[in-house]
Amino acid sequence: MLKKFDKKDEESGGGSNPFQHLEKSAVLQEARVFNETPINPRKCAHILTKILYLINQGEHLGTTEATEAFFAMTKLFQSNDPTLRRMCYLTIKEMSCIAEDVIIVTSSLTKDMTGKEDNYRGPAVRALCQITDSTMLQAIERYMKQAIVDKVPSVSSSALVSSLHLLKCSFDVVKRWVNEAQEAASSDNIMVQYHALGLLYHVRKNDRLAVSKMISKFTRHGLKSPFAYCMIIRVASKQLEEEDGSRDSPLFDFIESCLRNKHEMVVYEAASAIVNLPGCGAKELAPAVSVLQLFCSSPKAALRYAAVRTLNKVAMKHPSAVTACNLDLENLVTDSNRSIATLAITTLLKTGSESSIDRLMKQISSFMSEISDEFKVVVVQAISALCQKYPRKHTILMNFLFTMLREEGGFEYKRAIVDCIISIIEENSESKETGLSHLCEFIEDCEFTVLATRILHLLGQEGPKTNNPSKYIRFIYNRVVLEHEEVRAGAVSALAKFGAQNEEMLPSILVLLKRCVMDDDNEVRDRATFYLNVLEQKQKALNAGYILNGLTVSIPGLERALQQYTLEPSEKPFDLKSVPLATTPVVEQRTESTPITAVKQPEKVAATRQEIFQEQLAAVPEFHGLGPLFKSSPEPVALTESETEYVIRCTKHTFTDHMVFQFDCTNTLNDQTLENITVQMEPTESYEVLCYVPARSLPYNQPGTCYTLVALPKEDPTAVACTFSCMMKFTVKDCDPTTGETDDEGYEDEYVLEDLEVTVADHIQKVMKLNFEAAWDEVGDEFEKEETFTLSTIKTLEEAVGNIVKFLGMHPCERSDKVPDNKNTHTLLLAGVFRGGHDILVRSRLLLLDTVTMQVTARSSEELPVDVILASVG
Amino acid sequence: MGLLDKLSCLLGLKKKEVHVLCLGLDNSGKTTIINKLKPSNAQAQDIVPTIGFSIEKFKSSSLSFTVFDMSGQGRYRNLWEHYYKEGQAIIFVIDSSDRLRMVVAKEELDTLLNHPDIKHRRIPILFFANKMDLRDAVTSVKVSQLLCLENIKDKPWHICASDAIKGEGLQEGVDWLQEKTIQSNSGCEDMKR
Repeated sequence: MLKKFDKKDEESGGGSNPFQHLEKSAVLQEARVFNETPINPRKCAHILTKILYLINQGEHLGTTEATEAFFAMTKLFQSNDPTLRRMCYLTIKEMSCIAEDVIIVTSSLTKDMTGKEDNYRGPAVRALCQITDSTMLQAIERYMKQAIVDKVPSVSSSALVSSLHLLKCSFDVVKRWVNEAQEAASSDNIMVQYHALGLLYHVRKNDRLAVSKMISKFTRHGLKSPFAYCMIIRVASKQLEEEDGSRDSPLFDFIESCLRNKHEMVVYEAASAIVNLPGCGAKELAPAVSVLQLFCSSPKAALRYAAVRTLNKVAMKHPSAVTACNLDLENLVTDSNRSIATLAITTLLKTGSESSIDRLMKQISSFMSEISDEFKVVVVQAISALCQKYPRKHTILMNFLFTMLREEGGFEYKRAIVDCIISIIEENSESKETGLSHLCEFIEDCEFTVLATRILHLLGQEGPKTNNPSKYIRFIYNRVVLEHEEVRAGAVSALAKFGAQNEEMLPSILVLLKRCVMDDDNEVRDRATFYLNVLEQKQKALNAGYILNGLTVSIPGLERALQQYTLEPSEKPFDLKSVPLATTPVVEQRTESTPITAVKQPEKVAATRQEIFQEQLAAVPEFHGLGPLFKSSPEPVALTESETEYVIRCTKHTFTDHMVFQFDCTNTLNDQTLENITVQMEPTESYEVLCYVPARSLPYNQPGTCYTLVALPKEDPTAVACTFSCMMKFTVKDCDPTTGETDDEGYEDEYVLEDLEVTVADHIQKVMKLNFEAAWDEVGDEFEKEETFTLSTIKTLEEAVGNIVKFLGMHPCERSDKVPDNKNTHTLLLAGVFRGGHDILVRSRLLLLDTVTMQVTARSSEELPVDVILASVG
Repeated sequence: MGLLDKLSCLLGLKKKEVHVLCLGLDNSGKTTIINKLKPSNAQAQDIVPTIGFSIEKFKSSSLSFTVFDMSGQGRYRNLWEHYYKEGQAIIFVIDSSDRLRMVVAKEELDTLLNHPDIKHRRIPILFFANKMDLRDAVTSVKVSQLLCLENIKDKPWHICASDAIKGEGLQEGVDWLQEKTIQSNSGCEDMKR
């Protein structure tokens, strides 16, 4: 009762909260009343409420004062007032972690849980489990077992749920209660059955066989409780996912049969499980979708919401499956619940035909201002997907996006819009001019620094290539005048890019940059001075190297190298080529389902990975003097099947003149310990194996690492691609699997591994050149070579592009990896750095007749990389 | 005390409540004794070691006792002191067949008697020399010697031999306790006046 009042008061506003100005010390003082006899239950319950309120407000109770209050509270057990007793249970639970010796109430609680008063028993079980740690659990085990199979549902449920909590710290004890839980699972009470099933599953969840047995048992006998059905459906779909098995599995049949259950909850759960199964085809989806379709016309808002939300998800992957529901969704467009309406519209946008877009957009813009940011993002995502599907509609969609951009909104929402616009601009060159000018307008009044700098960067990149670049200058220079330093710095960089690419505008750009040199901020001033000086040289190569294509090295790597250099000053100037390159992230193909992914930052992770390798390798004395690590292969190659005795994975590290192969070995035999492990390698080309660094010892299931160092071929430096045959040599010592003791005697053994390939890609690091043309001119044609090849096995341009990029391991520039439809020629631009730090650029022109003909032109600042490329392609 | 309570006290309808602490080493029979003192329909069938404490109630002819039945296990003994303040009487149970641990019992008793919450109060202490039915049990006189009970000068105390399983000797002890409690209470009230 007290609790209830409390809640109501909180809702009605601060003024009437009777607990608002509680003082901790005063309340604890009041708690002494507990020691008085006879006990006044009303008063004591009120004080307990105050204590609980304080704890839940985050007030910190010291151990001593908490313990004191706790022991005073224990005396309240002499009263038989039901309200007071239940407050005691609550207090025990809340204070179980704050006070000491809470174990003192164990006997009192066991007495209550085995007593006659049913109202006390359930809460007593919960409180008891809260204060019991794994050492004390044995003492109450008997009571718990009894409580689980108790006839009173509340007691049984409490015991089951508490067991679930205990499972975390005392798995082995709770495991013994399975038989009781099994009995409870056949209870008639829906809650008890559900809880029992939950406990059974969590006890067995690490044992897949037991889980599938459990599912098949319950599916055969059927369940009373709809909650239990939902649970079983979830477990079954998880199991299905792990098996990633066939759709004719009995598990799938079971889920499908649940679509005909009489409880709506179960039906929905089954439908949503089917929809979320990976790799679900149209045939499996159909019954689930038709069930959801029925829900769409349900009078219950919650059901309608659930159905349309799930259909929305389905529409991302299988728009055609949802088409059947279009009529029902149309009805929901005018639903009084805005969330349902928004979801319905965005679903329709995904499934509907091109002709309906105009109408739907009009509909949605009528209440756009009424929905929350979260749903607005959903709308933006839907629009972004539409743009990919119907490029012709981009004008109307763009206009809609810009109206949205002008309205108020949070950062996430605005970012989603900007992301969407940028992707439209990238996909569709027709929309570039309008898109850029709208974005210019947006940054005139943009409160988000991140978005402003991002748009400025985009302007710098795309603006100079448009027909009328000068119109952007005003917008950019306005930023220099009006905004704060971060945006100003971005604007200066953008200005410089215009200057570098456009001769006519150069004088005016120089004037603008000169003004920026007077800026208050260091960074802005530095950038302006730097760009001004570079531009005044009027050399294309300089522009390309310092303005259009920035640094390609990894920033943390550069920082460390510079620090190292200042610590050990030498006569030689600092060599930028000794700095590890930034590993460009693999740009994922944007799929239709995730048009706007959260900005991922794999770059940082990759950079640190290479640094970890560098440190590991530097620790091996044999590898001193190899110079800086140039590249580590991104994914370790498995040299064994995954289920064999030993699991070996290889990572290739490339240095200027050497390669190091790192073998990560795991021994999966628990009765063996391996010692002195090396991997012997036989090259096919003129590589030379220099030394082996063995792994000392490899006990069961503990990974170990051994290395092989090879020198790159000197006589024929172009023959870089090579196959190594590998053989692992080691000493086996038998050991006792239980104690881990090893025999002293061992014997030599060998193990043949799969061959290891070294390809051209291992010698080239991907580098992103934002402006390929400038870089191409910068390198010059001194070492240019050109050859023509015929790719006889390849039938499409996409396939050819994919293969070339993968084979050379270089970075495709200016989005040239995307082949436009209906064209039979394409130019692929690739950039990379060859080991030793020489830039290498490749332009390959592809022509599709019956087969693909390819003309490769390679440029580099050295002759070797060009030769290597051409030799490897041929 | 409210007017109604007073009235019912006068009429003898409601019995006066007394807080009693039941102490002693583990396995000495505290819970069994308390269980036996309860009305026969409320008695528990099986007795398990107490963890922490439990609160039990029983009535004698003129008083209603609320007993804090404390756990005797070594690691919980230091928790006894939380309840000393409210105790109006103490029942101390000794396993008379456990000569070996008689010293431990004495030590606990001395700690109890020297505790600031107990030391200066004239609080009646009832000793039960329990488990008299066992063959190697020593007599109550011997127990009082072993515990040096004669040194307790400032508190009324009494020792009775008991067999909690059959219930022998319990009533005698409770009668003594009732008499002394009423005395000391009226003494207190006299002093208040």
